[in-house]
Amino acid sequence: MLSKVLIGVLIAMLGMGYWYYTTTQKRISILTENNVKLEVAAKVSEDSIKALTKQAETNQKLTLQLQNDLQKAEAYGDNLRKKLRELDLLADAIRDASNLEGRMNGATAKLWRDFMESSGNSTDVPLPNWLQSDSRKGNTSSNPDTKSDSTSSSEAQTSPAG
Amino acid sequence: MTVPVVARPKPLQLVDTRVYVVNKDNYEQFVKQFTDENGELAYVALAIKDYENLALNIADIKRFIEQQNEIIVYYESAMKKEDEDGTEKP
Repeated sequence: MLSKVLIGVLIAMLGMGYWYYTTTQKRISILTENNVKLEVAAKVSEDSIKALTKQAETNQKLTLQLQNDLQKAEAYGDNLRKKLRELDLLADAIRDASNLEGRMNGATAKLWRDFMESSGNSTDVPLPNWLQSDSRKGNTSSNPDTKSDSTSSSEAQTSPAG
Repeated sequence: MTVPVVARPKPLQLVDTRVYVVNKDNYEQFVKQFTDENGELAYVALAIKDYENLALNIADIKRFIEQQNEIIVYYESAMKKEDEDGTEKP
């Protein structure tokens, strides 16, 4: 009788052991699978973070460059306003009209060429005749210590050939 | 989203313009020279102040065009980097 009980207990323990083993194995398998998934997810997240960081760095660099370039574009107008404040064009016109005329025409020619260049036109356009040989004018270059660029509205066809 | 970078507009091809500075001392010389060169004595005159204003206006237009240009370059560079990285910007 006792041996039958012992055998029963033994069988029950074996059953429990088998159940424990299979359950544990299943759990280990699930956990391993989850671990692989987590590793993949972590790798993806890590890659995303790297890509976003790189993107942020690139964007920051480009934004800084843009800010600098936008600032540079202000320089011409600022410089012109400064020169116009410093100079007295009316007095210059009365004192020496041809000198002022030469400076204005030089600055105008330079301005048109700057416009062309910044639009992608790399052609080396020769200076107009009235800037090349006109002795009536003063300084014919775009004198840095002069003002501005003219914007005379006269059309090309009406421009004299000096 | 990938947007193709399109070609820039045709570059500017500007023509030179001539300014005459005239005062009471050189007016007669100007009239003679101008008539010789243009055939007729008809011109557009600007006061010095208006010339300055015109120059300032042009300078501001220049500033605007250059800044627009820089912004286009910025976007083009961003698109290019995106292509190189194979990543997509939000």
